Amino acid sequence: MLVALLSSQYQRFAAIAEAWLAQGASAFGVFQDGHPLIYWPSSHRLARPSLSVPITQDEQPIADLRVAGVTGMAAELRLRADAALISYLLQLEHDLQCMTADLVTSQDQQLALYRLSQSMRDHVTVHETLRSLVAEGMRMTKSHAGFAAFIPKHGQDPLLVKSSESFLSDEMAWRIYWHTRSLEHAVSLPDPDGDFPLLPGIEDLLAVPIRVRGSIMAGMAMANRAGGFGTPDMKLMQAIADQASAQIERMLLYQEMFDQAKLRTEMDLARRVQLDLLPRQLPQIAGLDIYATSRPAYQVGGDFFDFIVNPGRPFVFSLGDVTGKGLSAALLMTMTRSAIHSKAQFMPFPTPEAVMRQSNEDLYNDFTRVGVFATVFVGQYELGSQRLIYANAGHAPVIYRPFDGPAQLLRADSTAIGILPVSHCRNQTLNMRPGDVLVVATDGFSDARNAHDETFDIERLIDLIDQLAPRTAREIADAMFETVDRFGGGRNQDDDQTLVVIKGAAS
Amino acid sequence: MEMKTRVVGDVHILEIAGRFDTNTVPPVAAWLEQVTAAPKARVLVNLAETTFVDSTALATLVQALKRCQQVQGDLCVCSLRRPVYMIFELTRLDKAFNIFVDEEHALQSLNS
Repeated sequence: MLVALLSSQYQRFAAIAEAWLAQGASAFGVFQDGHPLIYWPSSHRLARPSLSVPITQDEQPIADLRVAGVTGMAAELRLRADAALISYLLQLEHDLQCMTADLVTSQDQQLALYRLSQSMRDHVTVHETLRSLVAEGMRMTKSHAGFAAFIPKHGQDPLLVKSSESFLSDEMAWRIYWHTRSLEHAVSLPDPDGDFPLLPGIEDLLAVPIRVRGSIMAGMAMANRAGGFGTPDMKLMQAIADQASAQIERMLLYQEMFDQAKLRTEMDLARRVQLDLLPRQLPQIAGLDIYATSRPAYQVGGDFFDFIVNPGRPFVFSLGDVTGKGLSAALLMTMTRSAIHSKAQFMPFPTPEAVMRQSNEDLYNDFTRVGVFATVFVGQYELGSQRLIYANAGHAPVIYRPFDGPAQLLRADSTAIGILPVSHCRNQTLNMRPGDVLVVATDGFSDARNAHDETFDIERLIDLIDQLAPRTAREIADAMFETVDRFGGGRNQDDDQTLVVIKGAAS
Repeated sequence: MEMKTRVVGDVHILEIAGRFDTNTVPPVAAWLEQVTAAPKARVLVNLAETTFVDSTALATLVQALKRCQQVQGDLCVCSLRRPVYMIFELTRLDKAFNIFVDEEHALQSLNS
C-alpha cells in the first residue's frame, strides 16, 4: 500500500524532498526492509542516513523515512512530523480501500441476491428452490460444496439437495442440518469451542438454519471455501437464507393453493358424475311409495342408487357405496352401477342373488387391483306381490319396519362386492304390505358426527325410523336428513348421505 | 389415531388406537403395503384400542388381506371392541377375516 501511496502522491513527496534538500540535507528517501523505495537526489543512495524515523501502520513500523547531511533536534522533530503525516495518509488510504471493498462487496451481494430471487421466481416446487439455493449459494460464497434441506410439516418425505461433491454424504448433510437446527443459529466449522467434529472431506463449513412460517423447517450449508469463511460470508449466507425462507413460504402457499384448486376441481367433477347419473325421476310402482335421494359430501364418496323399470318385468332398485373418495370413487361407482343395471335389465330371469353374484364376478378382479369394494343392496318387487326379494352384499344400515312391529336392522348375507372371488348372496324375502317400511341408507347417516365426536349410530337410526314409520316415504327421508343435520350441529358432512325409502301402499 | 408396530417372531403386529377412518388411513395403508410385500407375510392387526372404523379403513384392511393371500401369507385381526365388531358382522367381513378374541389366540393361529 505504501508503494501505491508513493506513486499516487509522488509530486507531494518530491516537494517535501526539495524542502529538505533546500534546508541543507544531502539526500531524502523512503526505505522498506533496508531497500530504497524512493529517494532524492537520484544520485544519492542514502546508504548512511544521518536521521531515520519509522513510518507506521496500525502502530507497527513498516518502513523508514531517511535523510542524510543534517542532524540535530529540530531536523529530527521535522522528520518525525513528516513520518507521522505519511503514516496518517497511509491509514486514510487503508480506510478508503476498505470502504471501497465493502461497497463493491455489498453491490456484488445485492446483485447476486437479485439474481437469486430472479432465478427462484420461476420455480414451482420446493425441490427446485433448494437446487437453485445450493447452486447460487456456492457461486456467491465461492464454495466447492453445499447442500440445502427441507423437512415438511405434514409427514411428507424430507428433501435434501446436495452439490455433486462426492465427499458430502446424505448422512453427513443431515448431521450438520440437525446440529444447526438444535442450536437455532448459524454454525461455522471448524469450531474450536464446540464439540461438533469436522467431518471427512470438509475443510471449513458454514451452515445456517432457515425459518419457514416461524419455525426452523429448512437449512443450508456451504463447505470448502478457499481461505475459509469470514464475517462477510456469514452475513451473505444469512441474506441468502432470508431470501430462501421467503421463497419457500411462497412455494408452500402456491402448492397449497394448487392442491386445493386441484381437489376442488376433482370434487366438482366427481359430484357432477355422481349426481348426473342418479335417476332424475322417482318410479311410480303400484303398491309402493318410493323416495330416494343422495347428498354428496365435499369430499365426494362413491354412493349411488338406481331404479330399473321395464314393462312386463319386476321392478328392481339398487343402492351402493364404493369405498374411497373423489373422482376415483365416482368412476368406480359408475362401473358398479352399470354392472348391476345391465344385469338387472338384460338377464333372462334376474333375481337379486343372480345380479349380485354376476356383478361380483365381473368386478372382483378390477376391484382387487385398485383395492376397493362396494357394499350393495339390490331389491326386486313383483307387481301386486306385496313381497320384496332382496340380496345384501355387505351393506349397512338397512332397516325394516313392519307395520305391526318394531324396526329391525337387516344384516347383510354376504361380503361386499370385490372382497371374495365368489359372492355368497342369497335371495331374502320381506313383506311389503301397506305400512311396511324399508330404509336402505349409506353409512353417511350412521357415521355422521357431532361436535363431541360422537357418531349418530345405527341404534339412533332404528329408533328414528320407529318414530317416522307412519309418514310417507318422502317425509321419512326428509326427517332423517333433518335429524342427522341437527345432531351434527352445523358440522361439515364427512361422507355422502344416500337413501332409498320404500313403503308398502295400497295398490 | 395412533399406530404402534412391533414384530413377534415373524409376525408383524399393528396396533391402532382411536378412530381408524379416511383421515387416519394413510400411514396404516403405507405400513401394511410395506409388510405385505414380503413372501408369506404374516400380519396381525390388533384393534383393541380402535374406537371406530369406516369403510375406507375396512377397504385398507381388505386390500392388505388380499395382498397377504397373494404372497401365500396371512392377515388376522384381533381384540375388536363391540361397536367395531358390529361393523364387521353387519357387513359380513367376519366371513372374509379370521377374527380372534385376543393377540395370544391370533398368534397361535398365525404360527401354526
